[in-house]
Amino acid sequence: MSPLALVLLPTLLAALLIAVLRRPPEILALVGVSISVPASGMLLTMAFAGKGYTLMMPGLPGMPLLLVSDPLSAVLSVLVATVATLVMVHATGYMRKDGEKRRFFATMLMFVTAMQLLVLAGDWLTFLGAWELIGVSSYLLIGFWNRKPGVAGAATRAFLYTRSADLGLYLGVFVLIGAAGTSNIAATLTTFGTPALIGGLLLLLAAMGKSAQVPMQDWLQRAMAGPTPVSALLHSATLVAAGAILLIRVAPMLPAQTLVAVGIVGGVTTVVAGLVALAERDLKRLLAASTSAQYGLMLLAIGAGAPVVALLHLIAHAAIKSGLFLGAGVFQHSRGSTGFEDLAGAGREHPRIFAGFAISALALAGIPPLAGFFSKDAIIAATLAAPGGIWMAVLALAGTVLTGAYMARALALLWRGAPQKGESGDELQWMGLGMGVLVALAAGLGAAFPRMEWLLGDAPPVSVLAMFLGLGASLLGLALGWLVPGARLLGPLLPWARRGFAVGGGMDGMVLRPALAMAQACNAVERRIYDAVLAVGRHAMRLGRGTRATDEAGIDGFIFGLASATEAAGRRARRLQSGLIHRELALTIAATGIIAAALLVAPLIY
Amino acid sequence: MIPIVSLAVFLPLLGAFVLLALPRGSAALSHGVGIATSAVTLLLTLVMWARGVVPGGFAQVEEITWIEAIGAAYRVGVDGFSLPLILLTALLFLLSFIYQAKSGDRARSFVILMLMLETASIGTFAALDALLFYVFFEVSLVSMYFMIAGWGEEGRQRAALMFFLYTLLGSLPLLLAILGMFLASDPWTFDMRVWIETQPLTGLAGMLALVAMLFTFAVKIPAFPVHTWLPAAHVQAPTVGSVILAGVMLKFGTYGLVRFSLQMLPDAFASAGTVVLAFGVVSALYGAFVALAQSDLKRLIAYTSVNHMGYVVIGVAIAAIATDPVMRAIALDGATLQMVSHGLVTGALFFLVGMVKARTHTREMERLGGLLKVMPVLGWSFILFAFASLGLPGLAHFPAEFQIFLATLNVSPWAVVSILAIVVTAGLYLRAIALVFLGEPGAQWLKLPDLDRREVVVLMPLIVLTILVGIAPSWVLNVIHTTTAALAF
Repeated sequence: MSPLALVLLPTLLAALLIAVLRRPPEILALVGVSISVPASGMLLTMAFAGKGYTLMMPGLPGMPLLLVSDPLSAVLSVLVATVATLVMVHATGYMRKDGEKRRFFATMLMFVTAMQLLVLAGDWLTFLGAWELIGVSSYLLIGFWNRKPGVAGAATRAFLYTRSADLGLYLGVFVLIGAAGTSNIAATLTTFGTPALIGGLLLLLAAMGKSAQVPMQDWLQRAMAGPTPVSALLHSATLVAAGAILLIRVAPMLPAQTLVAVGIVGGVTTVVAGLVALAERDLKRLLAASTSAQYGLMLLAIGAGAPVVALLHLIAHAAIKSGLFLGAGVFQHSRGSTGFEDLAGAGREHPRIFAGFAISALALAGIPPLAGFFSKDAIIAATLAAPGGIWMAVLALAGTVLTGAYMARALALLWRGAPQKGESGDELQWMGLGMGVLVALAAGLGAAFPRMEWLLGDAPPVSVLAMFLGLGASLLGLALGWLVPGARLLGPLLPWARRGFAVGGGMDGMVLRPALAMAQACNAVERRIYDAVLAVGRHAMRLGRGTRATDEAGIDGFIFGLASATEAAGRRARRLQSGLIHRELALTIAATGIIAAALLVAPLIY
Repeated sequence: MIPIVSLAVFLPLLGAFVLLALPRGSAALSHGVGIATSAVTLLLTLVMWARGVVPGGFAQVEEITWIEAIGAAYRVGVDGFSLPLILLTALLFLLSFIYQAKSGDRARSFVILMLMLETASIGTFAALDALLFYVFFEVSLVSMYFMIAGWGEEGRQRAALMFFLYTLLGSLPLLLAILGMFLASDPWTFDMRVWIETQPLTGLAGMLALVAMLFTFAVKIPAFPVHTWLPAAHVQAPTVGSVILAGVMLKFGTYGLVRFSLQMLPDAFASAGTVVLAFGVVSALYGAFVALAQSDLKRLIAYTSVNHMGYVVIGVAIAAIATDPVMRAIALDGATLQMVSHGLVTGALFFLVGMVKARTHTREMERLGGLLKVMPVLGWSFILFAFASLGLPGLAHFPAEFQIFLATLNVSPWAVVSILAIVVTAGLYLRAIALVFLGEPGAQWLKLPDLDRREVVVLMPLIVLTILVGIAPSWVLNVIHTTTAALAF
């Protein structure tokens, strides 16, 4: 069996088995995801040895489905498998008492399978398919507690908003396939000129939707209705990552103008979402805004022409953010809420969890020697090295300051306050185990970065200046966030940031309401057409009835009249035939007389 | 060689005669005859599938001389356009008979009517003689009229009138076009293969014939603005009637569009292609938006048919305009597969709406809610088919729509604006799911039973096929592509 299949099948089969068997779902789920770890690890090992795999399956005529393992996809595959396994371990505890955990674990496995399919996709059809399956898996997971009010709306919103942006992927893929004449991703990357420009911008649109970039950032913060392990997964290595992964893959094709657009989107997002995070009053929503901001940094790196750097930050962020969410899940479990007001002092109840949370937070802020330091440093260096990229460097540094500020703010809010009675138990062990490994990764992953850079064949520029600037920005941010309340930091921006910097009413105002208005307008037209046709029908019926009336009075009348006249004539004629001999004889003689007279007279006339 | 095609066409009619000849028995007997006949018919179409099609023409042709003087004959056969639709037809009829098996409402007449309709439907797709095609086409309308008028819901008289008005006026132009083609052919013949080969009508006459045909098929498809009979008919039709109407009979229009308009009048179609394309685009968008505004679940699904069939029109029009044979084949592959997918998915959705209505006695979405908890099997089935209908990858509509849009962007880029409709359909289905199935169920629904075994039997083949077409469309597409790749015009 191809190692590629070995990555995808365990999670898929586990999902199906959970649906069919009535065994404990968490065991099947854990077995499924943990098999995919060594399988994807094998892909990575072989990639280091310079060996790739390809698996071809029949798709559409002329467009076969391809799975490809190259260095990039192997790295991502390992990332997905690892984070998924650890989140699943955590979820074993988190979901322990949930009555519908079979559905939960089956959907999670489907989610992971779809993500693996995306990173291993070698053709656009598979990529697009995986992309949409990720969307629907997150719909099902965000809507997991679908009987609670508001949950269905949150799930619907998340799916609809990302699908609107997905149109960019559809169209971009059509442009690329049309230009290259093949659906093979690697082959379409040689596209240049106008198709590359337009295709690239369309793909950017899709990535903006999935990676929650400005102005399509607000769906992500609302997508918190699901269980916390879901957030941990979709904010780190899956749903949101898909957008950045798309851009990293097509980066070699993107012309300069498109790269600038990518950089602008990323830079603006990292600042805007950072400000939003400072204003948040809810831990999970803060982390969600931070996700947008960090993906903004990755897009900034891609815009600066350093996709490998973006990938490094994606990996570091995946480990960090999943750990943060799992920590948030523990706090939520003990306080029954994720609002900061309810969470005050929660950190003191679970000092070990809080320590892990703090390490991850510092890693995200970019404190050495944690993983985030290296990737963030590389991003700043890349923007400094990019020609004409000084504005990018400024935005990256601003993003770094904000990261430090909102993470320190979160730590402060969790730590300051009175602890309530801490609970510990079996569940907490599972949750702590999954989180612990992720925190260790967040701390130590940086050591592996040089190897990955070697594998991907692109060493980012080294810059002492960038290192000092970056570290300075991180420390400044941390200090601000710990010492100054977020509301004070934001000043006059606060109300605007609380609304998520929604422009024009956000997606609701710009897309949803116009669409509903359009639907009502079309429906009004529809009723008019319907009535018009019915009116035509009625007129036709009236015409028919009119014709019938004419028929009855006119033609029928004439014919029936004729018939009754004939009948009357017949009746009168019958009276002549009385059967009395003398009368008949008299009639005969009279008639004969008339005939004879006529015969006599006739020659005289002619 | 056993005439399998003719057997498949006329076996249902034979079943109807047998039922007529039998002494008036129980409802179960009638349903038994219906199920048995349509099951054997399905087996016959599977044999046809196994025999396959050939590139550049028709396979499994069976021919008997009929009216020699005017070149009319009994001719049937299949190619990549018709064979998948015949298989779909046979399957949907069998499932409809199984679904209906519980009903005792004038079962004998109903089964006889359905069997007649099955012969007419398979015959429409298999006919290779224009007169024969027309006869089957018309007979199917009459059967459907009686089904709506006899077994429909409260407002059925008006719906049946609407249906009849449209179809009566609708099919006359086609007859004129057929006569025109006949008179222009030399020697006179009704052989559709000859018409495809020689394309007897050109120039102005060709354009007039095309316009006439387009009118007939647009009513049937139905395309904006002559679609209003469809929601009216669906809302009043019995469940099985809706399934057959949407799953099978709408395809008469798109099939005719390919078989007659595109294959016999390619030049006229190429010059009028943009206009047809525009109608397709408007239908797709308009259908989606109107569906979004509906509150009746069945009416909503009816309007999504206008949207989905709009994509088919787009695909066929793109094929007519395209000069690149590769793009033309992609567009036609997509359009034909879309017909099959729509039959599977919308057929299933109408069954599901019927099942909801049978339990709750309402289709008003606002009055329903939380049904997923009460009826998980029904609910998840609906969610699956709703996602299939909104074009989710891995399910039946995706490969079809992917090909249609791919060809559209590369042939007439402006028309790809119709892709907006996939977001609108996503919105309307998610809204329907949220309203009907999510949330906390009302107290009046708590005791409702989930699907019984008969209903699961009806849905299961459709679920399997929807996934199979979605994941591995090549088993259908290879048959379609055999024909589309060899088209020469």
